[in-house]
Amino acid sequence: MSNGPLAGVRVFDLTMWMVGPWCSVQLGALGAEVVHIEQPDVDWSTLGAGVPPLINGTSVGYIAWNMNKRGLSLGMKSPEDRTVAYELLKTSDVFLINMTPGVADRLGVGYDIVSGINPRIVYCAITGWGESGPMALLPGADTPAQYVTGFATGTGAPDGDDEINRHFTQMDATSGNYAAQAILMGLLARKRTGKGQRIHVSMLRAGSALQSVRIGEYLASGHQPQRLGSGSQNTAPDRAYECADGAILGVSVTSEDEWRGFCEVIGQPELAADPRFAVNADRVDNREELDGLLEPILAGMVRDYWLMHLNRAGVPVGYPMTWAELRHHAQVLENDYIVPVETAAWGQVWTGGPPWRLSETPARMFSPPMPGEHSREILAGLQQQRAASEQPAAARES
Amino acid sequence: MGGPLEGLRVVELAEGVAGSYCAQELSDAGADVIKVEKPGGDRTRGWGSRKRGDVGVAFLSANRGKRGVALDPDSEAGAAILRKLIAGADIVIADAGWSAAAALQYDSLGELNPQLVYCRFSEYGKGGPWADQPPYGELVAQLAGDGTGSLGAIGEPPVRMATDIAGMYAAIYAVMSICAAVYARDESGGQRIDVSLFGSILAMRSTLWVALSNPDEWWGFHLDSYIKPPDTGYHCKDGAIYFSLARTGPEQREQLYRELGMEWVEGDPLFELVNIDTGGGGGRYSHLARPVWERALANFTVDEAIEITRRYGGWAYPKNDYEALVAEEQARHVGVIEAVEQPGVGTLRQVAPPWDFEGTPAAIQGPAPQLGEHNAAVLAEAGYSEAEISRLRDEGVLAG
Repeated sequence: MSNGPLAGVRVFDLTMWMVGPWCSVQLGALGAEVVHIEQPDVDWSTLGAGVPPLINGTSVGYIAWNMNKRGLSLGMKSPEDRTVAYELLKTSDVFLINMTPGVADRLGVGYDIVSGINPRIVYCAITGWGESGPMALLPGADTPAQYVTGFATGTGAPDGDDEINRHFTQMDATSGNYAAQAILMGLLARKRTGKGQRIHVSMLRAGSALQSVRIGEYLASGHQPQRLGSGSQNTAPDRAYECADGAILGVSVTSEDEWRGFCEVIGQPELAADPRFAVNADRVDNREELDGLLEPILAGMVRDYWLMHLNRAGVPVGYPMTWAELRHHAQVLENDYIVPVETAAWGQVWTGGPPWRLSETPARMFSPPMPGEHSREILAGLQQQRAASEQPAAARES
Repeated sequence: MGGPLEGLRVVELAEGVAGSYCAQELSDAGADVIKVEKPGGDRTRGWGSRKRGDVGVAFLSANRGKRGVALDPDSEAGAAILRKLIAGADIVIADAGWSAAAALQYDSLGELNPQLVYCRFSEYGKGGPWADQPPYGELVAQLAGDGTGSLGAIGEPPVRMATDIAGMYAAIYAVMSICAAVYARDESGGQRIDVSLFGSILAMRSTLWVALSNPDEWWGFHLDSYIKPPDTGYHCKDGAIYFSLARTGPEQREQLYRELGMEWVEGDPLFELVNIDTGGGGGRYSHLARPVWERALANFTVDEAIEITRRYGGWAYPKNDYEALVAEEQARHVGVIEAVEQPGVGTLRQVAPPWDFEGTPAAIQGPAPQLGEHNAAVLAEAGYSEAEISRLRDEGVLAG
């Protein structure tokens, strides 16, 4: 058993592609025992949506999206295997599925059946677009969710076009994370009510929720976010500047204290009193004039100078790092933000460490299973469970 | 039946996006959230543009459903109020801008309330050379955690994701760990959790780090954003679409080419590779084929292009802006947007909480508080008399 906060929680993980598997990676990181079901009729060389790169026939997706789990092969369409699934569900706390609406029923694991087997189960279904409505049966995936939720709106260079993020997992991972929240909330509600419940999360609503602040601003003002390059929609100066050494410096001034500190550091304390730039809303509305003043000043010294002095003045500053820098950076290593994990198919890989430090119940990362890797062990556990429950009460007492 | 977190009490000592949105999610889920502000108020009250007319909307979008107290935490009486509130709380959310004061650090609060789950937000993490910076640098975290230049054109200045992903990711992760720690509390007691914007971005990019671990083949859309221009969708007559032919067969593609008037590309091996391998904007050579597609798609509207692509087995979706998202029939059907009455502003439309709980429904609990709006009510609950409260107001301990 783990030392994590979810020690003792068992998850029946009937998920595929990314959004569902990503959700259960999080539950596993928090210490739950996740039993990841692979159906034998799925060609496992394409698992993880066959997302390249592939090594030894295994997709990066299968490796990255199945950490912290045990693997069980079960053919949900075969009656014998379904019996095994039902047995496992009796002792599971969470049921997780991400399939098109209706598929769970066809596989014999709709909510009525599963809650009939185990009324305490927290049952979570993730869909792309919702469980009904004109788009309900369309496939859901990360890129479509970016497009439909307006995720590109306002992202891009001022003279360009709205850009999609080409690191195509933002919406999958976001939706999986919101679903993990919901499952945890369901487990907390169960402590109070004694009952499980059905939960549903769609990528459409989750992807929109991620943009709550920007969409809120749009709804209040009627203005779409503008493309401002590295600039912020609602704060200034809050963008990247080029320094004397050609290096890029990110500066985020988002409060009046920070603005005064910034003006001191750049040697222009009178700017803080300039009515054009007095408070944030002024600076946002006079952003071009402001940048016209700031660009030559920031270009006058090297980045390290600004990092040191602005940091000291309490102004958030930073700079872009490459993978080569990130993976060896003291800040990353000391916080275990990128960690090595051994895998069967790829050897040692790097992955994001758990983003939480829990002082008493630490989170963890461990190797993804190959499909069905733990089938024998899990089935033996069920056998014991069966034997124990079939023993007459008298025999157990003696 | 209230939300799943009904009965939990949260004290929020945070501002900006991360800590505030985290506490808002707990409120949407039914927890009782008291947001404490310093006398100057949360910085987001001043975010936005007068010209656009959205000053302070960021505050309203991340602080709904909370009660608001405004006090001077550096005064003795203010610190005493905080300790009283925290003694009765299940959860404290404190960001590094607040928790620097010794009295508000976990070590002293954990003694006061051993069952307390204390979640602290920082920019870069608990340890390391950049520890203890407050979590208000959205761009800073995006830049530091990007690692690939996945936005913007090659060789051009960096571009930010327009939405506050770093702050939001940190908030979303924090909610998970807070719920997990409350779940474990009966056995392990209270504890301290640390979450950062930087660490959350890095965790969200795990797939990329795995792909970069051993790239025998510089291939796949997790890697090839290094080598391609930005993806802006495929432009049609009146907008842009995403499409993928990854799940189509050769005959379907043949028919599709014909329908779009581009049958001459048939048999071009590069073109076929684009379609088969990933399609849409994801293929290694997709940027080379894009002008050919766009020449054909320029004769069709977004609706027509989507209908035709789907008819032949492809995936196709519109590239929405926010106006189109809100108008999307599916978005209306599933309730992406909900209204909340905000005193002094009127009816505000906001993004609804993203979970459907059939047993314990989540819901927006109410509007965002004005500065210090609930000073008297919250202090009275904590045992302060009316006379004490008005004295604290006169002495400037309470604000708003």
